[in-house]
This record gives sequence, C-alpha cells and structure tokens, in this order.
Amino acid sequence: MTRAEAGNGCLAVETMTCRFGGLVAVNEVSFSVQEGEIFGLIGPNGAGKTTLFNLITGLTPPTGGRLRYRGRDITNLPPHRVAAAGIARTFQNIRLFGDLSALDNVMIARHARTRSGVFAGVFGMAGAPDEERATRRRALELLELVGLADRAHEGARGFPYGDQRRLEIARALALEPDLLLLDEPAAGMNPNEKRGLSDLIRAVRSQFDLTVVLIEHNVPLVMGLCDRVAVLDFGQLIALGDPTEVQNDPAVIEAYLGD
Amino acid sequence: MAAFIATYGFLIVSMVLAAILALSLYLPLMAGQLSLASPGFYAMGGYIGAILATKVFTGAGGLYPVKWVLVEMAAAGLASGLLAVVVGVPALRLRGIFLAFATIAFVEILRVLSLNLDITGGAIGIFGIPQPFATQFGYMWIAAPLLIVSMAFVYRLERIRVGRAFIAIREDELAADAMGVNPTRYKVLAFALSAVLAGVAGALSAHFYNTWNSRQGTFDLGVSLMAFVLIGGSRTFLGPVVGGLALTALPEVLRSVADIGGLPGWLAQFLRDGRLIIYGLLIAVGTVFFPHGLITPAFLTRRSHRAQSTSSGGQTS
Repeated sequence: MTRAEAGNGCLAVETMTCRFGGLVAVNEVSFSVQEGEIFGLIGPNGAGKTTLFNLITGLTPPTGGRLRYRGRDITNLPPHRVAAAGIARTFQNIRLFGDLSALDNVMIARHARTRSGVFAGVFGMAGAPDEERATRRRALELLELVGLADRAHEGARGFPYGDQRRLEIARALALEPDLLLLDEPAAGMNPNEKRGLSDLIRAVRSQFDLTVVLIEHNVPLVMGLCDRVAVLDFGQLIALGDPTEVQNDPAVIEAYLGD
Repeated sequence: MAAFIATYGFLIVSMVLAAILALSLYLPLMAGQLSLASPGFYAMGGYIGAILATKVFTGAGGLYPVKWVLVEMAAAGLASGLLAVVVGVPALRLRGIFLAFATIAFVEILRVLSLNLDITGGAIGIFGIPQPFATQFGYMWIAAPLLIVSMAFVYRLERIRVGRAFIAIREDELAADAMGVNPTRYKVLAFALSAVLAGVAGALSAHFYNTWNSRQGTFDLGVSLMAFVLIGGSRTFLGPVVGGLALTALPEVLRSVADIGGLPGWLAQFLRDGRLIIYGLLIAVGTVFFPHGLITPAFLTRRSHRAQSTSSGGQTS
C-alpha cells in the first residue's frame, strides 16, 4: 500500500494527456507525489517532461486527464491561480525578468501573498507601506538564502547562468509554495555549483516544508537527491520507483541507450 | 514676464496637456500593452465636458465656475474608466500589433459616432464652450496640478505591488502569470487608469480650445502621443512627460531659432516650415540610437542607485 492510498498525496497526476496536433507529447501519464518528498522526473530529450510541468502549472491546457493538488481539482486553472494555490516553478530556459533587478524579480513573486490595491499602494494607506517593507525584507532574505543578497540591485540579465538558476529558485520560493517544480535546475552549472545546488534543494525543503518535483539530466544529482524517480519516454511513463530500482530497470536502460 | 505669458501661454498649457496625454499612453505600455485608445477617451472626455458646460451647467454670468470644470473632469474620468473596462476585457485578449489595431478601430468608431450624433453637434461639433479663466494661461491652475498629480501617481505606481505586476507582464507575461500575477486583470486596470487620465484631460481641453469636434482626439493624436513616449522614453514615467513637453514646444523653438538673424535663408525657411520633416527625422534617429527613448531607468539610476542600496542596507541590518 502506497502512501498516496493512505491519503498522503500532495499532487496526483491522473491519466494526463497532451496532444499537439498529431504529436502526443504526454500520453496517459499517472503518478502521485507524496508530501515532503523530492520526486525526480527523468527521461531522454523530448520525452514530455517540460510539457508535463506546463500542464501542471496551467501554462498548457491538457487534452485529457485530471490534476489533483491536495485533494483539490486544479486541472483547468489558469497559471496564476495554480501559483496562488501553492505550486511554484522554475523554467528550463530561464525566464527571469531580465531588465529588472534581482530584488524586483523576487518581489514580483510576492504578488499572490500580498493584498494592497492600486489606490492603497499609491497613497500609502491601509497598511500598504508595511506590506511593501515586508515584501522587500522577505525578498532580501530569500536572496540571502540563495547567496545573491550582495547583488540584489544588479540586473538579472547580467548574472552568470548558475546564479540565474538560483535566482529563479528564490523567485519561486517568494510565492510561499508547498510544491516546488524545478525544471533542470543544474543545467549549465559547474560540478561545484551542482553540489551546492543539492544542498540548497535539501535545505529549502526542510526549511519551508516543501514537496519538490525536479526534472534533471544529471544522473548523480538525481540519484543522490531524489526519494523517488519517474521515467518518461515518448510521453509515456515507463518506470517509477526509488532511484536504484529505476536505474536497473531494463525499460529505462533501453530508453536511454536504444536497442 | 507678462509679455512672455501673453505670447506663450497657449503653448505652455498645450505642452502640459500633451505631457498628461503621453502619460496616459504610457500607463498601458507599463504593462506591455501598446494601446492607441487614449485619443478616443480624450475625445469622449472632451464631449462630456463640452456638453455639460453648454447644456447642463448653464446660467452663470461672467467667468464659468472652476468647480464645475472639476465636476466635468470627474464625470469624464469616471465615464472613460467604465468604458475602458467594458472595452478592455475583450480587447486586451489581443496582443501586440493586433491590440494596437483594435484600439485604432475604437478611436475611429468614436470619431464616426461623434460626427453623426446630434448630441455631439455632428460635423460642426460644440462651440462657444464657456471659459473659466480670463486668459489661456489661466488654465495652468488646473493643468499644472493635474500633471503633477498624475506624475506623482505614476511615480508611486512604479514602486508598489500593482506597478510591479504591470512591469512583470511587460517583461514576460507568461512568467508573470506563473508567478501569480493575473495578466488580464492588470492589463485592464492599466488600460482603465490610462482612460481616466485621457478623459479628464479631454474635459479640460474642451474648455481650453473653446470648441470641440470630431477632429479632436483622432488617430493623428495617437501617433503624436506615441512619438512623445518613444522619443522621451517608454521605461520610466519621466520619458513621456519630457517627450510631451519638449516635442510640443519644438515647433515654436525652431521658429525662434529661425528668427535669429544671420542664418542662411534656406535654413531659416527649413526651420520654419520643415517641422514635420524634423519631427520624422527625430523619430527615425531616436529609435536607432535611443531605442528606449532619451530618459531611461539606467540614465536615472546611475545616481539614485547608491542611495537605494544604502537605504536597503539600513533595513536589513
């Protein structure tokens, strides 16, 4: 009996399907992610991993299937409502607000957790200035956490690749998510940075009580970090289990090495 | 001074009104939306002011009371804002150039309506709109505070939660959406704020120009406003203000330069009559060498940056 059946599921993906014309990018994929685990999503290029993230976060409408987040149906919610529900993500092809400072990038993601409207904000009424200060303080704390506090006022575009990835994580954390989706967080990082990243992901999981789903190609990182791993190939789920189990699965070896 | 004001009073008020309208175009642009609807709301605001002043608030001898002008401005702003929400919800589904086209169509629909309705005076328009001030420069009593308040409003807006949501949509709508910002909501809000400002400016302008007809607030004005914003700068509220003030003054400045003795005849002639050529050249040269306009955030932050980092340092410690 899995923990999902025990009612401990955080995210349940139920026969999700996504077709782009004749191409089936994600084909009846089902799995569930438990509260508090680090769940790896791997597979060869074009397997549908990022599409699955886009389906979960509402960026791509599904062709079929259902998504449940903590028992709530989130299948057709627009992205900002998914975000407000507590699911934050980073992007494979980094999507920071490049012209803005690192601080502004993180402050923007506090949007769903703050309230003040246009007039309260402009005229500094109804607690809006306090809220602004808190937003700023929180954003600086998160930058501190990912090690970018000293560069808070620099434009995000000018950051090295690895720093941009960590800035994206800080921005995602500003949303106060319960579920964090990381799309290839180690891509473009050097071995040193990759080790730091594993520590960072573990640290934020315990500090913020997160459930983490990550897409990653770097095998040592996935094996060392993930509690469970799902393998996608041509849009289908071909294996699911703990890392060593999956690593020795014949179907997985075939998907990666071909026949 | 008195002579200067008598000569240039009309120009100075025109400059201020242009700056206000440029700010109106800037607001949707803050949220990344190129809308050319401002002239339409400006025209509508003008008609609301003109109709109220000539048909409703009549009977006052002497100068028209300023408080009624303010009431007209409030009514025009309110009506424009409401219409903007109604029009904006469907129109802002369109992106980029398609939104620009839709807003041009909106301006055109209002123009044709005003040309054919009885209440707007048809082709003749509304004339003899009563004057609240003895001189045209007197309009500065309303125009200048309106500009300052609008500038302060947008200045604050750029620094608060709602403004950050606008800017996030401008930078990357999809990422903003994924970070919890509702794009439709904030696009419509930016569009409505823009409309309120244009409507308010229209009601004041109707008095200022004394007459209001379907030639006011057309597509041509939209092009001028776009030039103000593009040349002044589209990334900070100071850009449109400087662009509106400077480009409205430019023809007069050129005329004065041409009047300086000693210039070759052809040059003086060109400065006097070649205004549109110079205008066009400025847009062409400006977009090549200053793609974000003359006043950019980088230009402004070079100095304020240090102040900002020290103040934030104080907050964290």
